[in-house]
Amino acid sequence: MAAHLSYGRVNLNVLREAVRRELREFLDKCAGSKAIVWDEYLTGPFGLIAQYSLLKEHEVEKMFTLKGNRLPAADVKNIIFFVRPRLELMDIIAENVLSEDRRGPTRDFHILFVPRRSLLCEQRLKDLGVLGSFIHREEYSLDLIPFDGDLLSMESEGAFKECYLEGDQTSLYHAAKGLMTLQALYGTIPQIFGKGECARQVANMMIRMKREFTGSQNSIFPVFDNLLLLDRNVDLLTPLATQLTYEGLIDEIYGIQNTSEDFFDKLTVEQEFMSGIDTDKVNNYIEDCIAQKHSLIKVLRLVCLQSVCNSGLKQKVLDYYKREILQTYGYEHILTLHNLEKAGLLKPQTGGRNNYPTIRKTLRLWMDDVNEQNPTDISYVYSGYAPLSVRLAQLLSRPGWRSIEEVLRILPGPHFEERQPLPTGLQKKRQPGENRVTLIFFLGGVTFAEIAALRFLSQLEDGGTEYVIATTKLMNGTSWIEALMEKPF
Amino acid sequence: MDCYTANWNPLGDSAFYRKYELYSMDWDLKEELRDCLVAAAPYGGPIALLRNPWRKEKAASVRPVLDIYSASGMPLASLLWKSGPVVSLGWSAEEELLCVQEDGAVLVYGLHGDFRRHFSMGNEVLQNRVLDARIFHTEFGSGVAILTGAHRFTLSANVGDLKLRRMPEVPGLQSAPSCWTVLCQDRVAHILLAVGPDLYLLDHAACSAVTPPGLAPGVSSFLQMAVSFTYRHLALFTDTGYIWMGTASLKEKLCEFNCNIRAPPKQMVCTHEFLHEVPAASEEIFKIASMAPGALLLEAQKEYEKESQKADEYLREIQELGQLTQAVQQCIEAAGHEHQPDMQKSLLRAASFGKCFLDRFPPDSFVHMCQDLRVLNAVRDYHIGIPLTYSQYKQLTIQVLLDRLVLRRLYPLAIQICEYLRLPEVQGVSRILAHWACYKVQQKDVSDEDVARAINQKLGDTPGVSYSDIAARAYGCGRTELAIKLLEYEPRSGEQVPLLLKMKRSKLALSKAIESGDTDLVFTVLLHLKNELNRGDFFMTLRNQPMALSLYRQFCKHQELETLKDLYNQDDNHQELGSFHIRASYAAEERIEGRVAALQTAADAFYKAKNEFAAKATEDQMRLLRLQRRLEDELGGQFLDLSLHDTVTTLILGGHNKRAEQLARDFRIPDKRLWWLKLTALADLEDWEELEKFSKSKKSPIGYLPFVEICMKQHNKYEAKKYASRVGPEQKVKALLLVGDVAQAADVAIEHRNEAELSLVLSHCTGATDGATADKIQRARAQAQKK
Repeated sequence: MAAHLSYGRVNLNVLREAVRRELREFLDKCAGSKAIVWDEYLTGPFGLIAQYSLLKEHEVEKMFTLKGNRLPAADVKNIIFFVRPRLELMDIIAENVLSEDRRGPTRDFHILFVPRRSLLCEQRLKDLGVLGSFIHREEYSLDLIPFDGDLLSMESEGAFKECYLEGDQTSLYHAAKGLMTLQALYGTIPQIFGKGECARQVANMMIRMKREFTGSQNSIFPVFDNLLLLDRNVDLLTPLATQLTYEGLIDEIYGIQNTSEDFFDKLTVEQEFMSGIDTDKVNNYIEDCIAQKHSLIKVLRLVCLQSVCNSGLKQKVLDYYKREILQTYGYEHILTLHNLEKAGLLKPQTGGRNNYPTIRKTLRLWMDDVNEQNPTDISYVYSGYAPLSVRLAQLLSRPGWRSIEEVLRILPGPHFEERQPLPTGLQKKRQPGENRVTLIFFLGGVTFAEIAALRFLSQLEDGGTEYVIATTKLMNGTSWIEALMEKPF
Repeated sequence: MDCYTANWNPLGDSAFYRKYELYSMDWDLKEELRDCLVAAAPYGGPIALLRNPWRKEKAASVRPVLDIYSASGMPLASLLWKSGPVVSLGWSAEEELLCVQEDGAVLVYGLHGDFRRHFSMGNEVLQNRVLDARIFHTEFGSGVAILTGAHRFTLSANVGDLKLRRMPEVPGLQSAPSCWTVLCQDRVAHILLAVGPDLYLLDHAACSAVTPPGLAPGVSSFLQMAVSFTYRHLALFTDTGYIWMGTASLKEKLCEFNCNIRAPPKQMVCTHEFLHEVPAASEEIFKIASMAPGALLLEAQKEYEKESQKADEYLREIQELGQLTQAVQQCIEAAGHEHQPDMQKSLLRAASFGKCFLDRFPPDSFVHMCQDLRVLNAVRDYHIGIPLTYSQYKQLTIQVLLDRLVLRRLYPLAIQICEYLRLPEVQGVSRILAHWACYKVQQKDVSDEDVARAINQKLGDTPGVSYSDIAARAYGCGRTELAIKLLEYEPRSGEQVPLLLKMKRSKLALSKAIESGDTDLVFTVLLHLKNELNRGDFFMTLRNQPMALSLYRQFCKHQELETLKDLYNQDDNHQELGSFHIRASYAAEERIEGRVAALQTAADAFYKAKNEFAAKATEDQMRLLRLQRRLEDELGGQFLDLSLHDTVTTLILGGHNKRAEQLARDFRIPDKRLWWLKLTALADLEDWEELEKFSKSKKSPIGYLPFVEICMKQHNKYEAKKYASRVGPEQKVKALLLVGDVAQAADVAIEHRNEAELSLVLSHCTGATDGATADKIQRARAQAQKK
């Protein structure tokens, strides 16, 4: 039992136990002593659901990191590879297996694909002549990992880049699968709302998958009243701003040395941008930061923030920043700039129109009077700025999105609503005063500040809605930009 | 029926046999049965009849004809036998007809006369021909045993998993045994044969002589032997007209009998009459003058219907003996063994009557018996013709019975039974419908559209139906188009796509894979397509599928970089081509010329993409690279791959100010940034003289506060103070505070009458030293407020 997962409105321990059981069952299939060879990337996520003691109880005696050539010597009966389904990893596994075959006494090899088996990878193993060496080839659908009583993450580092830059929807497919698993454990979610291109696709996949499962009627009473799927690119602004909640701040300044004065100057600039001041010209502070060669990520975050708060920069301003950055930090960053432009974080203003003020006013993104001690509005998490994403969720629950149609049309991607009919026996009759439970899924990442804002809404006495948060990755502006950066050498 | 027990015959002291007619056969037989080869399948299965099996003439009129009937004699199939001479017929447990030919080939037919497959019993059999053959059943399946012309036995215990076993030779066997049979003991098939007065048991290792215990003397030959269905009992018929019956293990005699008939019957079959031992429950109830509780209950109920008080008497009698529960159970059980619905009903009515006087009689057995009997009566119907007994039905299980109905294409009845018994859809209705659909796709006279529509209409989204399985069957029958139509209804792409690939409909497979969102499936199809199509066609296919194209690009990025370039080229994606060459300029080339060339290609691509900025930047980069190379040559040190900013800084740090200036001019570094750069570099060098000179070269575009800050950072207050005096009024207070001149900062703030500045200075006032200054500020504040 992980106590921290069961305090919330939805007991996420159920999910944790389900994935642990699946792991145990797999380990028991490979009878006898075992060594696990890890895809390094997986050790973090696995640590959240199964400690070494669990593995040990199931006769795991050794653990190695997946590397080329030979495996380290281990006197075990089974060797199990825990890997993501990636071709380059298959090549390494084949190398391991072939050199092990030459070594002598045979062991049983198994492979556990996380989160999904892959025909492509199995074909590669077949081409390399080792597919037959594996006794068990199975998948472990570890999609959503419970982090906290109201928080689930897929911990998929590359999800944003893959979805929005590279047109690779693998993580969306996993997200949809993860949502199906959740529904299998917590009941069919009767209503799905969404905003954004990826959200639409995930919803489509869910509906399709549901069709595939007809027959195994889900008879669990639904825990979630609705699901809100949100594309990260609907709100590119929020992660760029410095988070000012306790957890967010720790997340932001961890490992970054800043003088307090400089930190204050930066916040001032951010707040000016978000409240719509001087977003259309070259900013002195940013200029000075570049001239003093402050960290490139900090500069990029600020330039992108300005771009987003101005619905794109004037071509002259944009080119000026880009030139300054290339001259100061090196021409190789042209690739990074290109990526940011592709993601829409940095762009020239088209049509000469700045939509941000409309969005800001309609959604009340900027609040001048913030009470940080006893907050009354989510804007406290950024000392004045109310995260757009969370505002959308808040408005959806009350009074509904119909009131903000105009803004929804300005924001990228379609918005939609789907219903998943329930058998009459499972339809919920809410008690007066009982809160609804919304599962909100951020496709492309979520920040701690957004989580804090949603928790604030959950705790509001007359809020009417409690939130469980799911995401492809827990992130902040720095890790986000970093993932989009490209260093060719 | 006047007397219920009229058809009972005693067997020994303790048992009765009864025989009744199941069906009056409706077949139109011209031949005598003894002129035909006949095989009846167990468990009320079909009957096969081969007419004229022994005629060898070529004329069609006298060629053998194979007829298949249901157990009730309804014709199921009739076909002209065109293959070789048949020695023996038999049914497998799966109700497949096995026809053993003289040459050892076994032809397998379905019960509708559809040819399924054939297999051979081996070379030895082929050479020596088949003299005699037996089809037998074991717990593993159905087997074939053959006696060859060389008087050797070959057998396969399971024709589903054909493994031929040649049995050891029987010593001294010169002619065919007078009779033989297959025995199955301890999961192994043996052969028991009779040669004159001797019996031999053949197993796979040896041949041993055996003697039945208690065999009457004087036997010179065994004419016939028969083994019971369960292989537990054996009967031997001798040339003296004597019958020995005992256990098949030949360890125990059960009884003997002399019938005084000496000629062996040519063939013995019982199909339309049913002979069996009277089950215990029935015997108890119906035995003449039985006083068993069941019998009394049946009487009681009959009297009750006549509104006679005798009902009460009978009932009391049972109750006084405390046997009412037993009575009800007996009636229920006996009902199961009755063939006539009337009889079943009266027994069940009796049970139901008895139940009323019991407090807690669990209802299950009664309910289940009613259900089972309804099912049994339905399949026993003349039109269906499966005369199963209750015990057979229980052994067979409902699943197998459903399979048999499906085999007979009696889909509606099968579905009715499923629905009646409320079987879960996946095991019941869905399974039947899937079978029906698989049959439907074989109807070649119906168009693809009609078949697909009919199937979808019936199946809809019925859970557990696999459209891909049905499609696979259609494809197996050569109906690819139909298969594709059926696959449209398959919601599981994981099933849909591989079959489409197998049918070589890769492009359709691709769009289905894309629809599913399963990128692994898309990749799989892509790699398939890549091998199947030539490069041009492959690229064209990708062009129309943006999602697949993106994925393939991802694949190429890791696996085939060159192909990635070709893809961008094909799409005229110059922007990405530019980026591609930028990357390439770092990846492969060590020599500066190569790098510059790659960058030139990149710049050209950016121009084509109308990305002037990127093109110019790349040209700048080329210029810088060449310059850095020259600097390395002329000045030594490391310049390559430094940013422009760092190159200038390095030059200043190395004392090459002129070159630094030149470079800054060449690349038009903005003044502000150049000032910051120089300031930082000179401070790093601690070249205070040069810094001062620089500060006076012209009016600073960045003001003088940065000078103050940077000197303080290097802990040089003396130099810092020089610049503090030059800082403009807006930042004066900040500068003075930085150099620690709180008093003067206070004066300036007071002069400015700026509340924020005053507070800032006040916050810098520490302890005793700045006490006077603090007072001064407070006074100024007070004064300001008065005004």
